[in-house]
Amino acid sequence: MAEKMELNEVEVWDGNMAASQALRQAQVDVVAAYPITPSTPIVQNYSSFLANGYIDGEFVMVESEHAAMSGCVGAAAAGGRVATATSSQGFALMSEVLYQASGMRLPIVLTVVNRALAAPLNVNGDHSDMYLGRDSGWIQLDAFNCQQAYDLTLMAFRIGEDHSIRLPVMVHQDGFITSHTAENVKPLSDDEAYEFVGEYKPMNAMLDLAKPVTYGVQTEEDWHFEHKARQHADLMTKVFGKVEEVFDAFEKKTGRKYNIVEEYMMEDAEVAIVALGTTVETSELVAKMMREEGIKAGVVAPRLFRPWPFEQIRKALANVKAVACLDRSSPNGALGALYNEVTASLYQNDNRPVITNYIYGLGGRDFTIDHAKEIFKELDANAKEGRPTTPLQQFVGLRGPKLSFY
Amino acid sequence: MKYLGWDELLPGAILFSFDEEMEKDACEVLPENRPYAETNSHEAYVGDWRVLKPVYNRDLCIDCQFCWIYCPDVSIISRDKKMIGVDYDHCKGCGICVEVCPTNPKSLLMFDEHVENEKALAQWPEKE
Amino acid sequence: MLEIRWHSRAGQGAVTGAKGLADVVSRTGKFVQAFAFYGSAKRGAAMTAYNRVDDEEILNHEKFMHPDYVLVIDPGLTYTADITAHEKDTTKYIITTHLDKEELIAGQPKLKGKDVYVVDCMQISLDTIGRAIPNTPMLGALMKVSGMFELDYFQNAMKGVLAKFPQKIIDANMAAIERAYNSVK
Repeated sequence: MAEKMELNEVEVWDGNMAASQALRQAQVDVVAAYPITPSTPIVQNYSSFLANGYIDGEFVMVESEHAAMSGCVGAAAAGGRVATATSSQGFALMSEVLYQASGMRLPIVLTVVNRALAAPLNVNGDHSDMYLGRDSGWIQLDAFNCQQAYDLTLMAFRIGEDHSIRLPVMVHQDGFITSHTAENVKPLSDDEAYEFVGEYKPMNAMLDLAKPVTYGVQTEEDWHFEHKARQHADLMTKVFGKVEEVFDAFEKKTGRKYNIVEEYMMEDAEVAIVALGTTVETSELVAKMMREEGIKAGVVAPRLFRPWPFEQIRKALANVKAVACLDRSSPNGALGALYNEVTASLYQNDNRPVITNYIYGLGGRDFTIDHAKEIFKELDANAKEGRPTTPLQQFVGLRGPKLSFY
Repeated sequence: MKYLGWDELLPGAILFSFDEEMEKDACEVLPENRPYAETNSHEAYVGDWRVLKPVYNRDLCIDCQFCWIYCPDVSIISRDKKMIGVDYDHCKGCGICVEVCPTNPKSLLMFDEHVENEKALAQWPEKE
Repeated sequence: MLEIRWHSRAGQGAVTGAKGLADVVSRTGKFVQAFAFYGSAKRGAAMTAYNRVDDEEILNHEKFMHPDYVLVIDPGLTYTADITAHEKDTTKYIITTHLDKEELIAGQPKLKGKDVYVVDCMQISLDTIGRAIPNTPMLGALMKVSGMFELDYFQNAMKGVLAKFPQKIIDANMAAIERAYNSVK
């Protein structure tokens, strides 16, 4: 029996510690991991919890991230609660197996500490790896601070493991800006957390020898399409309701309210920033400042990045005049992913705001209060003119001549 | 096998080995008594993959079970440690059973697919 | 909002110091942040760490700051790092050095006219802890200069933060904090 850990009402944890404590409290059966900066401390803390008797489970050291996720797939198919962590290049190496995990409908929890993708090599935070995962069939939740990294990791188990869902879940946090920044975190006690997550209920477990099952079948053109359609249909129709249900249960337990799309001061907002990660909170702070300058600013943030909250985004931005979509990943030859998703969503509304795209913060480049102020001012001009007063895509915080397109 | 629509599929593209849940572990039930599902590879005939076939000679066999252990496709039929024969529906003719057979002459030998087993047994070689 | 910037070398404990400070402050009901700039720095490389303290939840995640306090825990960095970057008129400097304040300012003229305090955290940590880990003495000096907490209160809170260490190490750190508190000038 695992030992319980005494926690303070308020702990000062960085995002990595927050995630590893949530994994410990969920009493994961198997963690197969190959550590990589900046997510290394998640599995390092986890293995130390295990070695010190705080977890009943297995920690499997493997030879690569591909093997890490493969180990997770095997353990999850066998019938255990499974989780791991990664970042950046490790995430990229895992990507082949990410599709295996979701296609086999294995509810693995992957805590992703977002980091830039090489080349050039960089250990700092941006959203390149998170974006790389967006077509992999996983549920993707995004934390904007350390508390949320903890809360969402606990909730991820309950969402993904539900027998009506059975999908793997990524919980994203910003590399260093969240993962290595210590903040106030209010944890649940071990008992409360485990009660919330619930005991793992296996479904179609490979090691059930009275009812054996084959995972990883081959299908060609006669069956493959139907299986992929089934997975997509479940993502599109079942996940939103389940996420809301788990968010509600979490609010009842902790008082902390989560939404599929978070809205800050959107009741009367005329201009809005749409962003992910820590940038959401910095933008929220700046939106408050802009209100003092007479600009009705708000912030909209997809808490759930996949499946894409199409209806919730349409509703959140139904009445605004100008929107800025902030992408922290190089689009490499296109408009940003968030821009494309938001624009496609709002195209179906009667009110079509002016929508512009900002590329920022690559490789951990600081996103400052001044950057957000400048964006809100440009949005205000777009709202007043009723058309873009700037190019559609602009780079923020970049040295050299101003870079923009369209 | 009937084609199913996307809404009729089991999530995860999984296939159950048997049509019904068994009362005990499958390993405790003899293959002929297991309720194999239509999608189980046990139900598929792959004998025509073979060019050469192993023929089994009961008179020489010492029931050592080497062939049963080494067969990569579970195509050696053995009951209570007694060799019975070869499952020609699934044997692909790899010849490993012949390779590992320790008797002299061997109790398993490869013959052309078209040679009848009685004729094969009649031309069995002598001890070397 | 109170903002603090630490100048340190990787391995001297600035991150641990910043997190320890955040931990102590959080116990008074305030909101805290502690973070650092890493890169792929090796032990000995110059680095910076940061604290934010506020009565409200801290939403600001920018790395940029105008510090209220600059804490320099390696003597050499006074001369080689840009310790006055983004300073305010009111920024207070607490600098580890064996020199007295006048000698220090003579050697680093850009500190002239600033609110500078000196304390020999290196010698204090060597004498008390037995290793050059100048982070906890710097916290003692910060308590004295800022008046953030009384010495007794801070020492007790730090005992909680250091609880996982053996008693000998806790006692050494307490002595280091006290000596720095009393000797910062």
